[in-house]
Amino acid sequence: MTRSDIDTADRLTRKRARMLPFLALIFVTQQISYFVEADARVRMVDHVKVGAWLLLSVVLLLALATGGFWFKPRAVRALMDDEVTRANRAEAFRIGFLVTMIAGIGLYFLDQFAPMRGRETIHILVTVGIATALIVFGALERRALRDG
Amino acid sequence: MAEALANRLLAIRTERGLTQAALAELVGVSRKTINTVENGVFVPSTLLALKLARALARPVEDLFFLDG
Repeated sequence: MTRSDIDTADRLTRKRARMLPFLALIFVTQQISYFVEADARVRMVDHVKVGAWLLLSVVLLLALATGGFWFKPRAVRALMDDEVTRANRAEAFRIGFLVTMIAGIGLYFLDQFAPMRGRETIHILVTVGIATALIVFGALERRALRDG
Repeated sequence: MAEALANRLLAIRTERGLTQAALAELVGVSRKTINTVENGVFVPSTLLALKLARALARPVEDLFFLDG
């Protein structure tokens, strides 16, 4: 582990902390079109949209779980996944889980008045869980990087 | 019981003329880890506390103590 690895990890960690909440915002705003244009008819474009959402969800979930930057050297990735990062990630997952459960309970209650399809419900829950964890992880990482 | 873990990491590090990055390199962690421990934002594991003590050539009790 060299000084250069530490400097690179520091730079990439800052980049990740700035990027994550922004990615969460893009991820959530992308979902608006999915629900605004909800229609009983299923068109080809809907399959593409669902596919894109699924792909983005998997990529974001993997980035959260592993720290991302998969093509960087092992030493740099290890530094970017140190004790503090693992603690921040665990806290982000904890809050993400709680918010998802609360959203699930809310949707279960709302379903009495406005029945929803299973797919829509799962879509909302996955989006809420991933977005929350991304925002919390980003915020905790930014706090950890703050000096003084 | 309102006990918290306090530390003298910043004082001992500067006394030895080390930057956060230099100490990070000695211990094999990121600069962020040193920063969060110094600021009391993060409570390090026993392993990390012992590594920090070894890198600074001080007993671990000199670095960390109970506050409150």
